[in-house]
Amino acid sequence: MVVLQLDPFLNELTSMFERSTAKGSVWVTLKRSSLKSKVQRNKLASAGETIEYRCLIRATDGKKTISTSVGQKDHQRFQSSYATILKAHMTSLKKRERKDKKKSAETDKREGSSKKAKKV
Amino acid sequence: MVYISAWDEFVERSIQLYRADPESTRYVMKYRHCDGKLVLKVTDNRECLKFKTDQAQEAKKMEKLNNIFFALMARGPDVDISEVTGKDQMDAQPTKKGRGRKQ
Repeated sequence: MVVLQLDPFLNELTSMFERSTAKGSVWVTLKRSSLKSKVQRNKLASAGETIEYRCLIRATDGKKTISTSVGQKDHQRFQSSYATILKAHMTSLKKRERKDKKKSAETDKREGSSKKAKKV
Repeated sequence: MVYISAWDEFVERSIQLYRADPESTRYVMKYRHCDGKLVLKVTDNRECLKFKTDQAQEAKKMEKLNNIFFALMARGPDVDISEVTGKDQMDAQPTKKGRGRKQ
């Protein structure tokens, strides 16, 4: 698995989304991790040292896996760029709001006319 | 494993699951563009919570859950997530939904 810096990760994630438009899926996993092996963790724990945890982010399109990690200081910057990428690429989801507006406009009209009818 | 249909229940239970065992719980998002489907999964390898949608509206809610998990995982499971969740409220939508259903 390739461990990348934040910006290269985001770039690669973008191209994964672009490559999987015709077919395929993209998976993104978030996990809390110390990025250390169990042995290393045990060593640190027995030495009485505190283990630093970060948020590990992995992404795959089924062919290639990339990963990066964010800590306390940089997670906010990362999560907003991540959200922007998602927003830009999750375009095949259905937009219900637009339909709702049409529907609600129609129902408003109907309701309006039925009210009038009742009054008469 | 069952899909949870109510969003709020999914959010609540997944945070609970994570807090019970932060080190072995993961949060996975799967997006399939050609089918227009989005699946969210939270699991600790014992229990598995899933949520499936094809609505763009739910993706907006997901953004908030992403932020919650980023905060929980990068800063620690004891972090106060109310500042993340309370920022912009999505509660404005139900009125629209109600209108649509009246038809």
